[in-house]
Amino acid sequence: MICREWNGDIVVFNQETGSTHLLDEFAGIVLRRLMASECGATVGELATALAHGQDAREQQESKQAVSAVVAEFARVGVAHADAS
Amino acid sequence: MILADLSRSELERRLAGPGLRLRAGPVVTQIQSPLGAVADGVALHYAAHPIEGSDGFADFFVRVDRPRNLRRWLHPQAVFYIDGEAPFTPLPLDQAFPLLEWGLNWCISAHCHQYLIFHAAVVERSGRALILPAPPGSGKSTLCAGLIHRGWRLLSDELALIDPATSHVIPLARPVSLKNRSIDVIRAFAPAAVLSRPVHDTTKGTVAHMQATPDSVRRAAEFARPAWIVMPRYEAGATAALTTLPKARAFMEMVNGGFNYSVHGRKGFEALARVIDLCACHTFVYGDLEEAAKLFDALATKS
Amino acid sequence: MSDGLRPSITRALRDPPALASCNLRQWEALVLEARRTNLLSRLAHEMAERGLLDRVPPAPRAHLVAAQTLAQGQADAMRREVTYIRKALARIGIDIVLLKGAAYLMAGLPAARGRLFTDVDILVPFERLPEVEAALMLHGWFATHHSAYDQRYYREWMHELPPLRHAVRTTVIDVHHAILPRTARLKPASAKLLAASRPIPGEDRLRVLSPADLVLHSATHLFLNEELSQGLRDLADLDSLLRHFGDDPGFWNELPQRAVELDLARPLHYGVRHAARLFGTPVPGAARSNIECLAPPPWLDGIMGALYERALQPVAPGEPGPLTPLARQALFMRAHWLRMPPMLLMRHLVSKILRVDHDRDHSRASPDI
Repeated sequence: MICREWNGDIVVFNQETGSTHLLDEFAGIVLRRLMASECGATVGELATALAHGQDAREQQESKQAVSAVVAEFARVGVAHADAS
Repeated sequence: MILADLSRSELERRLAGPGLRLRAGPVVTQIQSPLGAVADGVALHYAAHPIEGSDGFADFFVRVDRPRNLRRWLHPQAVFYIDGEAPFTPLPLDQAFPLLEWGLNWCISAHCHQYLIFHAAVVERSGRALILPAPPGSGKSTLCAGLIHRGWRLLSDELALIDPATSHVIPLARPVSLKNRSIDVIRAFAPAAVLSRPVHDTTKGTVAHMQATPDSVRRAAEFARPAWIVMPRYEAGATAALTTLPKARAFMEMVNGGFNYSVHGRKGFEALARVIDLCACHTFVYGDLEEAAKLFDALATKS
Repeated sequence: MSDGLRPSITRALRDPPALASCNLRQWEALVLEARRTNLLSRLAHEMAERGLLDRVPPAPRAHLVAAQTLAQGQADAMRREVTYIRKALARIGIDIVLLKGAAYLMAGLPAARGRLFTDVDILVPFERLPEVEAALMLHGWFATHHSAYDQRYYREWMHELPPLRHAVRTTVIDVHHAILPRTARLKPASAKLLAASRPIPGEDRLRVLSPADLVLHSATHLFLNEELSQGLRDLADLDSLLRHFGDDPGFWNELPQRAVELDLARPLHYGVRHAARLFGTPVPGAARSNIECLAPPPWLDGIMGALYERALQPVAPGEPGPLTPLARQALFMRAHWLRMPPMLLMRHLVSKILRVDHDRDHSRASPDI
């Protein structure tokens, strides 16, 4: 996967599908976190990693946002869901 | 030698016979056509363009002629041939010159993969290229036609050719195509502009072509370095305004307007990224061409 | 560079270093001919392999570079398409035998290098066609050629489903159950082809025909196909396959025998003869004799030979040659004759001629830019 970033926005070239995608700042953060973890991460782990000083409600929203981003990753082939 | 150096009869002889070899930037096309409308259009719009001899290298061989079937007597039509094939449906005979222009656009965008090719107008000042990508109807051709009469050099009104290795933008300096209202707007804005007689009832409405400025044609061998990517939008009554466009979005807009971006694969991605690195990116709204031109003057001076 | 009978593109492909002495005019004719015969990217590849591109003058070199870029882009797209097809057909547990370009590419054969690709062709057992069609449609492919006539043409008379186009990617897949129509006079047995097919190492569920069968299919496709415009390119494929597999002496023993077994002796004969003539394909003496024995009676051989020679010659730039279209027409008729019994043939040809304009109007684009 090939990426370039300008001001927090990331564009990605997916060599498998030949498609090009734009990730906004939040998706970019999630992606970087995902790439940093050696053997992948669950939605919960990603959300926790991004949650600094968030209350329960904020954490829940964060988790939903991460879920949505990860679903989009799967759809465009940037990341694969692992059933484990 | 330029086309204007040929007599009209010599021009017609070459077109009807062995072919006329016309250069537009890096592309040499051998054109054959017995049709008066083509001779007229070529004589007007390519007067300042270099003519090549038959001992050189022509990139494409095109012909605009009547179709070779019975219909030729019922409805006068013109067909565009490239390499002996006719990829387009015939058009009415009076649209023969626009057909040639559209056919040449197709030749370049379908074959010239030594470049990255984007659907955009490009103009230049001080060696720096202003790239105007836009879907049809956004007013980019009108803006482009206006700017080249206010101190900008024309590289192209439809096809931005970019050398992937160097990021240089390569000129074609071919005629600018204008539609419907734009024709009158440009006539008023630039009385010195040379326009063909409008052709009506095309699939795009009324179409006319505007000659590239002589300076643009003279300097068609000079590349430009990308400096700005601006997405224009015409809106009646709007005040001219430039808004910053996040680079990543500009990148995606270019991808969407790419003719052969996907052919280049990963190399195309990286080459386009280098172009984006070099450019200030904006969206632009305008309602008045004069105001728009002044704003771009300021842009060129400031940066 | 062009002498009357041998197109210069074939001479160029046989001897790329000789192009160093070409002037611009000769390059111009060569690039045009290469483009028209769909061999420009192959020429670019052959020159790049030998480090000769830098010596080409800039104007023609741009065309070679452009052709390389296009071929690479299409190869990447073809690989992706095969992956999508494999995923779509995984659920029905079928092994997919790839044909032609897709096969050459996925099996890593030299024939794929510098080649342009369009549709994917696959071969599946006849009895599994409905499942394959259903699985593909579930994954976004939809049927083209909707007229009742076309549907019948493909399904009943030809050897394939009507081409399926993917709704999003717009790519096309041709699903064959045989390499010749059921109605053809020649009758190669699909079961034998499938039985002899080999898995592609490292590619799950993908197979290619055996070497002899790849060659026979290439020759058959060329000489019995309706569209002869790709003739020279198909012959180049054949030349590449013969050179690649020809290193194995066992191959040359097997080839004529297999041709007879599959009832494809004539196509092999024509194929080898014209590949050798145009591309200089090296064929060992004994094999050459064996294949010559597969020739038709001399009177027919002479006519067919002359016709194919003319037909495989690309038409000169700007000039529609009066004889070549006639020769092509004769071969077009013959190809149909071999594929369809006379009554069906008449009906098919009449229908096709009447529908040509209709089809063409729909398939040609309006100039849009």
